[in-house]
Amino acid sequence: MVDSKQQWKAWLYLAPAIILLLVFTVWPIINTVSMAFLEGYSGLTKTGGDVSFKLGVGNFTHVVAHPDFQQALLNTCLLCVITVPVSTILALLIAVALNAIKPLRKALQTVFFLPYVTNSIAIGMVFAAMFNVIGSVGTRRQIISSYGIVNDVIMALGGDWVNWINSGSAYWANMLVMVVYIVWNALPFKILVLLGGLQSVNKQYYDAAKVDSTPRWRVLTRITVPLLSPMIAYVVITGFIGGFKEYTSIVGIFGEKMGPVHDPGRLNTMVGMIYDSLERDNQGGASAAALILFGIILIVTMINLYVSKKRVHY
Amino acid sequence: MKKLVSMLLVLAMMLCVFGISVAEETVPAYDGSEVTITFYNTMGSNLTTVLDAYIAEFNALYPNIKVEYTSVGSYDDVRDQISKEIPEGIQPNIAYCYPDHVALYNLAKAVQTLDAYIESDAVITRADGTTEIMGLTDEQKADFIEGYYNEGREFGDGLMYTMPLSKSTEVLYYNKTFFDANNLTVPTTWAELEEVCKKIIEIDPMSIPLGYDSEANWFITMTEQYNTPYTSATAPHFLFDNAENKEFIKMFRDWYQEGYLTTQSLYGTYTSGLFTSTSDIKSYMSIGSSAGATYQRPAKNADGTYPFEVGIATIPQVDAGNKKVISQGPSLCIFKKANPQEVAASWLFVKYLTTTVEFQAEFSMASGYVPVIKSVAGNEIYADFIANADGGNFVSALSAKVCLEQQDAYYTSPAFNGSSTARDQVGALMTKCFTIPDGSDVDALVDAAFADAIAECEYAVGW
Amino acid sequence: MSENTFKVMKQRNMRRISGLTEPMRIFSQLGIYLFLFLMALIVLFPFYWMVISSLKSLAEYKLSPPTFWPKQVLLSNYADAFTTANLGTLFVNTMYVGLVSTILSLIITVLTAFAFARLEFKGKELLFGALLATMMIPGELFTITNYSTVISFGWLNTFTVLIVPFLVSIFYIYLLRQNFLQIPNELYLAAKVDGTSDFKYLWKVMVPLALPTLISITILKMMGAWNSYIWPRLVANDEAHRMITNGLRNAFTETTGDVNYPVQMAAVALVSLPLFLVFVFLRKYIMSGVSRSGIKG
Repeated sequence: MVDSKQQWKAWLYLAPAIILLLVFTVWPIINTVSMAFLEGYSGLTKTGGDVSFKLGVGNFTHVVAHPDFQQALLNTCLLCVITVPVSTILALLIAVALNAIKPLRKALQTVFFLPYVTNSIAIGMVFAAMFNVIGSVGTRRQIISSYGIVNDVIMALGGDWVNWINSGSAYWANMLVMVVYIVWNALPFKILVLLGGLQSVNKQYYDAAKVDSTPRWRVLTRITVPLLSPMIAYVVITGFIGGFKEYTSIVGIFGEKMGPVHDPGRLNTMVGMIYDSLERDNQGGASAAALILFGIILIVTMINLYVSKKRVHY
Repeated sequence: MKKLVSMLLVLAMMLCVFGISVAEETVPAYDGSEVTITFYNTMGSNLTTVLDAYIAEFNALYPNIKVEYTSVGSYDDVRDQISKEIPEGIQPNIAYCYPDHVALYNLAKAVQTLDAYIESDAVITRADGTTEIMGLTDEQKADFIEGYYNEGREFGDGLMYTMPLSKSTEVLYYNKTFFDANNLTVPTTWAELEEVCKKIIEIDPMSIPLGYDSEANWFITMTEQYNTPYTSATAPHFLFDNAENKEFIKMFRDWYQEGYLTTQSLYGTYTSGLFTSTSDIKSYMSIGSSAGATYQRPAKNADGTYPFEVGIATIPQVDAGNKKVISQGPSLCIFKKANPQEVAASWLFVKYLTTTVEFQAEFSMASGYVPVIKSVAGNEIYADFIANADGGNFVSALSAKVCLEQQDAYYTSPAFNGSSTARDQVGALMTKCFTIPDGSDVDALVDAAFADAIAECEYAVGW
Repeated sequence: MSENTFKVMKQRNMRRISGLTEPMRIFSQLGIYLFLFLMALIVLFPFYWMVISSLKSLAEYKLSPPTFWPKQVLLSNYADAFTTANLGTLFVNTMYVGLVSTILSLIITVLTAFAFARLEFKGKELLFGALLATMMIPGELFTITNYSTVISFGWLNTFTVLIVPFLVSIFYIYLLRQNFLQIPNELYLAAKVDGTSDFKYLWKVMVPLALPTLISITILKMMGAWNSYIWPRLVANDEAHRMITNGLRNAFTETTGDVNYPVQMAAVALVSLPLFLVFVFLRKYIMSGVSRSGIKG
């Protein structure tokens, strides 16, 4: 039984946070929901004296009717499904490797943390430059002045160059670039979490493994991964949430057209749909798009939690 | 009888005149009261120095008008910021604007129409004892370059919403050294351009003769040159899906496929970089903003000379006798405010910036844009600047000179909520059609691309 | 098996194993280093690009194909970045906002995390779940409404508006709660028996134990102040309250609304440097703090 004195005290401790949350979090959510159900709601139009917004689900149908909607849904899901496992596995390998070395460990840790302190504008431009093919790609008289450093490496290894992001590029190539960029961005946080976890793992488990002279990969899959499972669950869940909010990384590579020049909108995402409405001062549509996105994230997180409950070892 | 009729007629006319002057909103003259006006712009520090100097001059005339300006960031930043401020009633008094921004602000009916101010003949005494009228004198009105001035009226209702501040256009940059050496003439029409491109490729097979900066400008300019429909300020807004427009797109597609030309987004990087390139692959012509002349000039050699001389000309036309070139660059709009004196003071400041010869001259020289009033050409310093024009160190002056010579060719497009979407869509349409590969059903794909673009535009104005 | 026999066994076995597989061990260590260096190279390349871009002239920056080493090293970009942006004021403003909001935020976070970790009240789990759910809402949505809210409070162009709306971070509360949960309950019960008040226990026992996490929060919060852009631009873009990222973005906008990228890159590099140094010196705390959030108590 919880006594009433402690109840009272608990709420006192919570008061500052609750008050601020009511004003700056809860009220915006209520406001968002109410805007989402006012068809075509726009702050500017309202200021102009037109307040005849009908109550209804028009904003939602309008968002769903967007020419890019299905594509955005597909892109968002694909990016999540690919980047989260890839970045998690890569981060795990790097963390384990870092944990296994002595000299240079600190220097390398610093290097892997670097992406955390950089400016996203700068990095997006760099990635675009790395994959950019400069020239008249795919015309009758094809002249190419630069293949980009990624293609240079591929060609040096004897492969064929790929049209990554330019006009006429294929969807899979665009996606691959996005995956590389997003994984790069996601690595430092994941490495940090996993490495921190590794260092707090009880060494005795490994000593036992050494006794049995278990092979390295077996140690990894049978001991490290289960021991790290709470951290892995954590980076996977936050990874999915971040993945569904993907927007700036795509603008960074492809610009606000959200796609290669011959097919703008091809890489649009759910958050892109929100901005699309905001740009036209259609807060009703933006709110509806945001609620749809919230619904999707909620479902995915539920699934994640359900799976991790079954698989995570504490 | 006849007399009666004519008397009635005169009476009716007088009534009409009277009626109009009553219907016309009368605006209060600035009465010298103390006001602070705010001004959002995108000026970098090189321009705010000029602005500071002229705010001081303005304050010598109107010491009670305090001008506070903010460099907000890019043009889009200004738009985003103001459209959030309007519902709260805290928008600035004056802002840098593009026509589509004004169309957005007009959803809230927030922009002050300027006709009544322009026509006001109230006399104001300034601090130095001299007087001026509130509005524009006939000389001042006639001094504006017509194409620039008319942009303020492109909102479908015939009212004036903006005043031009400084403008740029597109010009054709060409490699004069190369053209001279090979006896090439600078193309004035698209037909001539095609011939020149063919010749250039014969001379230098590794070149892409022409680079075009902006597909959207290109499309819109072509509709003006062919006089085919693009958009309308009144519904139905989107009129660009027609056979004539498809025709020129297909022609340019063929040229792109032949390697005669490319655009910034198709090529994958700045076309000015291609034009000034010192590697094997380069262009010999480049169409871009007149304000970016210094980027179209190659980097100096070690001995201080330039690898080639830049020539600047009017962009190719459909009909060289009836030139059409785009007008771009910032205008100023004034926002409605509860205090009429604030609005009056804002108008005086806008009038000061747009009609003061010395400011227009200095601002133009610092920015690379061109002045919006003709009399700047008579300003000694500016005339000197233009007289020194060349294809090397003074390339901005050369660009300004070409702009001034084509004063009559400027056109502006209708502005409405959704006009920027139309602009984006026709730009994308160009690239989409250009990249249709040979061997596919070009006609069908072009039709589909046009239909898609119209659908996207219609969706955007759906709400 | 007792601790001692285990140790002895371990030592004996280690000697045996390492003796047998010495070449193998070197080989695998080599592989590990190779893998790490390769990854490090990939991670570092964009930085290299940022730095060389910051040394180019705008004309060279626009060149095609891009140059991999600036033809002419323009250190003046850094001087430009420093002088034109009025970095001094920007720095002081940012430090002020960063410090005040960090301190207030820490207090609120500690109190809230304590309530969730140690106190019992009705609806605790439900409330905590609801808070976590708000983390999933795209931030842009809050901006629209919060903007009208702060204006109705009359907070425009004040430091308050830069500090107060972001004092509560669910993420930090979550982080700290996880940390508090790891502290054995026995300590708390013992303190209760001694008659120590909750507040004193929190202050004397829990806060010191959770110090690494608190330091991490401090650093993350300072980084947040350093990198915030959209909100300050909207609500406090006047000279007296401007924050560093906004100042940098504004300073290098050209007349045409373009950005002078090389100078901006120089500015970005300058601004990233303090963050980078902070990480180098406080790596230990950041690491332990961030990692703790993943451990369920």
